[in-house]
Amino acid sequence: MTALTLRGLFARKLRAGLTGLAVLLGVMMISGTYVFTDTINGSFDKIFEEGAKGTDVVVKSKQAFTTDSGTLPPSFPESVLSKVDTARGVSEAAGGVIDYASIFLPSGKQVKTQGAPPLLYSTLPRRFNPLDYVRGKGPRTDKQVAIDKGTADKENISVGERIKLVGKAPAQTYVVSGIAKYGDVSSLGNATIAVVTLREGQRIADKPDQLDQISIGDEKGFTAEQVVRSVQRALPTSVEAKTGQQDASDQAQDVKDSLGFLNTALLAFAGIALFVGGFIIFNTFSITVAQRTKEFALLRTMGASARQVLGSVVLEALLIGVIASAVGVAAGVLAAKGISALFNAFGIGLPEQGTVIETRTIVIAATVGVLVTLVSGLAPARRATRVPPLAAMREDAARQSGRAGHRREIVAAVALVLGFAIVLWGLFGASGSTQVLFTLAVGAIMVFIAVALLSARLVGPLASGVGRPLEGLRGMEGQLARENAMRNPSRTATTAAALMIGLALVTFVTVLAAGIKASVTETLDKSFTAELVLQNTQGSFNPIPEAAGTAVSRVRGVEVVSPLKSTNAKILTRDAGRTVLSGVEPSTITRVWNFDFKNGEAGTLSRLGNSQVVLNDQYATGKKLKVGNTIQVETSTSAKPDFTIVGTVDDKSGFFGKGIVTSSVMRTKFAETQNFFELIRTAPGANVAAVQASVDKVLETEYPTVESKNQTQFKNQIESQINQLLALLYALLSLSIIVSLFGIVNTLVLSITERTRELGMMRAIGTSRRQVRRIVRYESVITALIGGVLGLVVGLVLASLTTVALENEGFKLSIPVLQLVAFLVLAGIAGVLAAIPPARRASRIDVLEALAYE
Amino acid sequence: MTANELWRTYGTGEARVDALAGVSVAFGRGKFTSIMGPSGSGKSTLLHCLAGLEAPTSGTVAIDDVEITQLGDRELTELRRTKIGFVFQAFNLLPVLTAEENITLPLRIAGRPIDQQWLDQLVGTVGLAERRTHLPSELSGGQQQRVAIARALITRPAVVFADEPTGNLDSKASAEVLGLLRHAVDDFGQTAVMVTHDPDAAGTGDRLVVLRDGKVEHDGDVSEANLATLLSSR
Repeated sequence: MTALTLRGLFARKLRAGLTGLAVLLGVMMISGTYVFTDTINGSFDKIFEEGAKGTDVVVKSKQAFTTDSGTLPPSFPESVLSKVDTARGVSEAAGGVIDYASIFLPSGKQVKTQGAPPLLYSTLPRRFNPLDYVRGKGPRTDKQVAIDKGTADKENISVGERIKLVGKAPAQTYVVSGIAKYGDVSSLGNATIAVVTLREGQRIADKPDQLDQISIGDEKGFTAEQVVRSVQRALPTSVEAKTGQQDASDQAQDVKDSLGFLNTALLAFAGIALFVGGFIIFNTFSITVAQRTKEFALLRTMGASARQVLGSVVLEALLIGVIASAVGVAAGVLAAKGISALFNAFGIGLPEQGTVIETRTIVIAATVGVLVTLVSGLAPARRATRVPPLAAMREDAARQSGRAGHRREIVAAVALVLGFAIVLWGLFGASGSTQVLFTLAVGAIMVFIAVALLSARLVGPLASGVGRPLEGLRGMEGQLARENAMRNPSRTATTAAALMIGLALVTFVTVLAAGIKASVTETLDKSFTAELVLQNTQGSFNPIPEAAGTAVSRVRGVEVVSPLKSTNAKILTRDAGRTVLSGVEPSTITRVWNFDFKNGEAGTLSRLGNSQVVLNDQYATGKKLKVGNTIQVETSTSAKPDFTIVGTVDDKSGFFGKGIVTSSVMRTKFAETQNFFELIRTAPGANVAAVQASVDKVLETEYPTVESKNQTQFKNQIESQINQLLALLYALLSLSIIVSLFGIVNTLVLSITERTRELGMMRAIGTSRRQVRRIVRYESVITALIGGVLGLVVGLVLASLTTVALENEGFKLSIPVLQLVAFLVLAGIAGVLAAIPPARRASRIDVLEALAYE
Repeated sequence: MTANELWRTYGTGEARVDALAGVSVAFGRGKFTSIMGPSGSGKSTLLHCLAGLEAPTSGTVAIDDVEITQLGDRELTELRRTKIGFVFQAFNLLPVLTAEENITLPLRIAGRPIDQQWLDQLVGTVGLAERRTHLPSELSGGQQQRVAIARALITRPAVVFADEPTGNLDSKASAEVLGLLRHAVDDFGQTAVMVTHDPDAAGTGDRLVVLRDGKVEHDGDVSEANLATLLSSR
């Protein structure tokens, strides 16, 4: 029996290969995701390890939690260094500044870091220095800078050249004194490193007489732990000592935590691809079991038990699963490079240091791949056991009716209702984003399966709907294609359903993105009364120095410059948890932004005190917080100030987080010394374009990391950010669409094998090869369009439900008709592409052999 | 239609088989020719070569004075559309098309207009006027084969090839099908060539060609062939 299975598998190489590919791609994505994230995590481990080399103990400010905005821990007075120096067990201690500063080439071009930090370090004594100079040496004077080798190579910078550094202080020119490698780390991703003297670092970072870190070397005979304890006694409460190792692993863990979502998201896309692959395996096995009815019956007449028949099909599935998974796991290493390239292309540069392949990667990816194959192959395998021995004698045994039973439809209908119910519960009832996403996923999977089961019923009308126009265009070929598609509705339905899943998700994200764009535009039109915005040249998620706003306020024609700060905070009252707060300048904010007060009025904000907060109305309602209540907030610097709620606003822009406090309290209590935006109102009658030109002039020379945007530019920027995210999602979803195309290829190839005799006859009575190809191609297009229509409908329904659920967050339903039509056209083109191999196969059928075919 | 010195050789050396070893026959216009011969005599190979489904190793076949053995796929397709009609043992109707759609399929494949009068006449002749819209699965074997004959005749081909047309039918249905072919030859002046191993079927023709071991053993009027010849060629 086993030998028979093996031989059969080998004889049907193409089918086995295509089926295997359906699993392979999903497994590849899983393995690729793990390799990718492990490699990144490994690189960060390495980077922080290198940084801690030679440093036994580190002193830093305490940070209650790390902020998403990448805010560094606050600095502490330089005087702490002398106390540390005299502590027991300390042989050497050196203070350093760690901040951000962008590098500008002599041409004026900024070295963009694509989301990675442009690091600024001050020089350290040899013992603590992680840098190895490959050319030149470290900076000796305040006019010198050393940079990392990666940046020097990429930007062609050599020793002796002049570059500009821009941190919080105005731009300054430096001579490159040396180029260094960061230990053994070969790539820092897109991060840049600039090293200057301590004094110059303090100036660039606007941290006069302040330090960010003290590196300590132990005296002989002391353990790091002992030194930590003795140093800690000398420190103020806001500053803490840790071992260098501890610090390195803490930092690496922080990075891992903040990148954790990446792993989950990528695995989700791998899951989708595998889910689609499951459909294809199920379909392929269903078809082949039907086609091999005679073979199974013959085996049964010769005494094979039902168990043996089951075993042979399951074994086939197992073999395909194992081989495909093995190849998939290996291909994952390449996929990891692909994912990395994809993220790079979308402006997310992450460091890569070697390739990390953990055992866990192999085990998980392979297990999932084999399981998906087995589970998907099980139902068809069980059907094989029900073949009666008598079927061997029947002429038309293979032509089993594909009509769906009533029971199946009832199950599908129940699953559909239940699926939507779960989706609705997820949207309206569930709390916490993990729970919401999980319920949504479960609900969506049920909906997909239910629609796939039900769609056998819909294939007839849908095939007519999409096939009739073809028929009008291409009479005979069109009609035959349509009739062929309807011949076995459940087969066509399952094939189309695989494509439906991918298209439904594409439609879903497209409609949601259109909704977000529409709502952002509307909110900005309504509330945004500033004419200009200042933001970081590397995007609005990076801060800008406060001094830039001050400089711009002196420009003629500028009437109001109002800063906007943003930070993470933990609301301790009612355990409300982590959230985002904004900091504004009360005297000016209402001149640049039109708030929609639910409680209070404009004066509430313009008279906002340092211990008062205006909450987002939704948030306040959700957390049952009312005007007059006092909330306690924990900042990232571990301060715990109280704020009295004085008003609530309805803010759908998301600019102001969940609550608004003064920018001065955010500076003092939250250590947010930088702004995210400056909102600018021009003087009445001033020419906005002319003012913007003058503003740009000031920024160009002194603050080149800051740029101005007018209202239109700002809106376009937000739109293009959404589009970019959308493009990334499309790229990731395309994998499952590719898998579903293999499904179409597979189904058609199998159907053609079944119809060999018919095709032979057609050829014998004068059908040309081209006509045969057309018939196959149109059937493929019809199948793809059925998948496309179903996908659009399901995607639209899911997106509409989500929009309704998120209406309060400012979501609007906006249906991008043109794009949806484009998706249908693309589905049709995909159908044409998927038809290429089967059509070629069909047209090459040998007439004589086909007529003798059994 | 003529075939001249047809050879068809399979394999080489020891395994060499001459399916056709120098067959020359001519088929008169408007005549019904039966080809008989024991299994392996080369009768199917001859039919395939005559119909352009298979290229002979050497020799020529001409239909309406066109030499077909050297034609490419495109020309052969065109030939099948215009000059040749087929009736198969296994009916080979498209299950998704109705009886009438199956009959007109060759015209639609060729993109030619349907001669409604001719269609009606054919449907009437094969006795399926009441079953035009039935699917093949709703027809009996005999009815299906009658549809196939109408399909072969719809293009008014130069020649209709029938490969064991009664092989899957009972005697009553066989008689109907043979009667139809006879009728086509007598009343429409159709040329027909039928391969069969049923002596009764062969007797329906005007002329009988008997093959043995790839060679023509007998070629003459059916009436000349004695019963012994027919029986021995089964």
